[in-house]
Amino acid sequence: MGIRLLRRLPSALLVLLVASFVIFSILRLVPGDPATSLAGPDAGPETVAAIRDRLGLDEPLPLQYVHWIGGLLTGDLGPSYAIGGQTADLIGDGLGATVELTLGALLFVVVLGTAFGVLGATARRGWVRATVRVLTTGALAVPPFVTGVLLVLLFAVVLKVLPSGGRVSVLTAPDLGVQYLLLPALCLALPSAAILGRYLKDGIERALAEDYVRTATAAGVHPRRLLWRHALPNALPPVVTLLGMQTGHLLGGAVLVEAIFAWPGLGQLAEQGLTRRDYPVVQDLLLLLVTVFVLVQLITDLVHAWLDPRIRWE
Amino acid sequence: MTESYPSPAAPPSRRTALRAAGGGTLLLGLGLAGCRSAVSASESAEKGGAAEPRRGGTVSVAINSDFTPSLLFAQSGQSLQHRLVYNTLTRYDDELTPRPELATSWHYAEDGRSITLELRSGVTFHDGRPFTADDVIFAVKNLQNPARAAQLRATAGVITGFEKQGDHRLVLKLAHRVNNLFDLFEFMIITDRNSVEEALKGTRLNGTGPFRLTKWSPGSGLSFTRNDAYWQPGRPYLDAVEFRVIPQADALVSSLRTGQSQLTFQVPGRNLAVVKSSPGLTVTEYDTGGGAQYLGVNTTVAPLDDRTVRQALALAVDRDRILKQTLGGYGLASAAPWPKSSPAFTEAGRTHYGHDPAKARELLRSAGHTRLDLPLLHLGLPGDTAVAESLQYDLKQVGVHVTLRPTDPATAQKDLISQKMPALWTMSHGFAQVQPSTLAVSAYPFNEAKNTSKYRSAKYTRVVREAWTSPATGAAANALHREISDILLDEAFIIDLVIRGNVQVAAKDLHGVTLNKFAYLNLDNAYLAA
Repeated sequence: MGIRLLRRLPSALLVLLVASFVIFSILRLVPGDPATSLAGPDAGPETVAAIRDRLGLDEPLPLQYVHWIGGLLTGDLGPSYAIGGQTADLIGDGLGATVELTLGALLFVVVLGTAFGVLGATARRGWVRATVRVLTTGALAVPPFVTGVLLVLLFAVVLKVLPSGGRVSVLTAPDLGVQYLLLPALCLALPSAAILGRYLKDGIERALAEDYVRTATAAGVHPRRLLWRHALPNALPPVVTLLGMQTGHLLGGAVLVEAIFAWPGLGQLAEQGLTRRDYPVVQDLLLLLVTVFVLVQLITDLVHAWLDPRIRWE
Repeated sequence: MTESYPSPAAPPSRRTALRAAGGGTLLLGLGLAGCRSAVSASESAEKGGAAEPRRGGTVSVAINSDFTPSLLFAQSGQSLQHRLVYNTLTRYDDELTPRPELATSWHYAEDGRSITLELRSGVTFHDGRPFTADDVIFAVKNLQNPARAAQLRATAGVITGFEKQGDHRLVLKLAHRVNNLFDLFEFMIITDRNSVEEALKGTRLNGTGPFRLTKWSPGSGLSFTRNDAYWQPGRPYLDAVEFRVIPQADALVSSLRTGQSQLTFQVPGRNLAVVKSSPGLTVTEYDTGGGAQYLGVNTTVAPLDDRTVRQALALAVDRDRILKQTLGGYGLASAAPWPKSSPAFTEAGRTHYGHDPAKARELLRSAGHTRLDLPLLHLGLPGDTAVAESLQYDLKQVGVHVTLRPTDPATAQKDLISQKMPALWTMSHGFAQVQPSTLAVSAYPFNEAKNTSKYRSAKYTRVVREAWTSPATGAAANALHREISDILLDEAFIIDLVIRGNVQVAAKDLHGVTLNKFAYLNLDNAYLAA
């Protein structure tokens, strides 16, 4: 496993280096800069110049790049240009909120996806399978911004049992935090749960059609044991790969869901940073997202190898 | 040949499913039964009865964009928190008459070249330090610093000298007479000179205002608690104020309808109908307006260098439709920039350009045009896009075919400042709610010396300068205001469309909320009815 990790590391580092260069360059190519954005519509050239000087935007671009990378390597992300505060604090707070939302959603994905998959593949009654099919199709077809609004209308406005938006950290006040988390996590999870459910259903059906299942059935193994101990584990490897990819999608999808539920995560931070051309925040944020994607792919690769001996022995 | 096998695996049995569902429900029920409810906690402030002042309570204010500390000294989209933490020297009443705040009285020298301020004694900053004339001197000098990007820097720059007469009397020496000094006093927050850099980072806001900032969570909100040492006896009534950042309009409305928030000024026009029908909410519109949407014209692009063509565009626009469709009817369709509260407002100015496509076509024909193709830059935000599409439709009716250019705010801002706007653009401007001269001195689109339309005229410069340096009231002032209005309407380099309504949506039991002319929220006398 260690050798496998060492083999993957250089390419991962190369991806990060290229990404840092692309992110830095693209941001500078976008019209508008933090100084004009901060100066406002009434500002004269001398005001803009004073702000540019204060922010260090007069330095040559290669030097700005070196300063940025140097800061990253030494753990000093510097101050935010427009939003205020230290970039590290902003990203740390936003990351905490987004990770909380993503983990909550991931829990829903696993629970709902497994339920959809198992029931879709094994339910004896046709109406159960049909219901699962309708639910997964609906969850896939309806975009989160519609689901989100519907969930808010139902649970916050009509039933008044859950808050319409905002966040209380699960770590600081678990009882309140869970209530704030439920709706956005469910909204974010639904499409991924449907995809996962469908993959799992196909995987279980394929596994149940294998010869060893027929042999085990003939040998008298209990059907439930057959499903949970044999068919399901064999159906899992491609689903785990998919789950890794869906984690990335959840992080991306969180941007939209955060806006609907006023969840102060990385999505809102990225939107603020981009609108105000807050270079440090946007650069660090984008590089962080690339890093997360690279790590998730790396971990998925390792888990895949752990689950499937054929890959491990390649 | 196909083989059929008996189903080899069984789904979870009914008993298992029921056990799982029952167990899950029990766990959830037990868990939540012992918990606080996030809904009832936020709703408790919503309930109330008679409108009697009551001490205590927390008001939650929904805001659509976060506080930006680096813009603390500039007019930005979100200045609500300014008057909670800080005070200004004076505040305007509805007739633009200055009333005391940290300055208790004032008098101009006969030549108008200096003003003596009597400052309130016994006022302390939140850290206990007494407020003195030095804090006012610092506040003025701070706004004179170009890096602060303060829109009223030109007016602050007129103050060239300070003469301290004790801790609570200060003479401000002026380079020349100006009539918008009280606009500056309404705008300029008095900050602690020792912690201004921390304030610009948002780490510490130390003011003399009714509330202390206890926490700022970027992207999430701000928390304020009552300042027990506030200089106004018995105020504020409220214990605390919470600002919650809710960028999405529907989420913001939901927050109000569910009682999670009790106050906002940022419900978009198209959502106001929903809010108005909610029984627990009241909608109030301020006369001062919340800025104005305008159609900007680059006067160096042919054929827009011809005033007749610009006037034709002004006549082609259906302002009432824009008001209704994009602002939900909250605002004022107006060809002139002034809201009703402005001394320059006249009904004749407001209706100077009615919707008259026939006359617009006639003017275009007289200028030798039957068809024009022009680009129109607009912000790619929902409200601005709707305005741009309305303009596109109206202008097409008179033969002006417009290509829309959606742009993000930062790029548009840069193009605006660097005078790189295309033939047409639509954005919004402020500063018409105070002294009329401030508009032409401090709002870039109208600036007489340099503006995005690249419009220059000796007459405009003369009138603006004269209006700026003459007394603010009286027959001569009114005549100058009329002259400014006439030039703006006649030259049509900025074609005003609608004055946006400054609309307050509040829970029915919340009383005593006011805004100053720069949209600083004043909760000194606010209370939740018992």
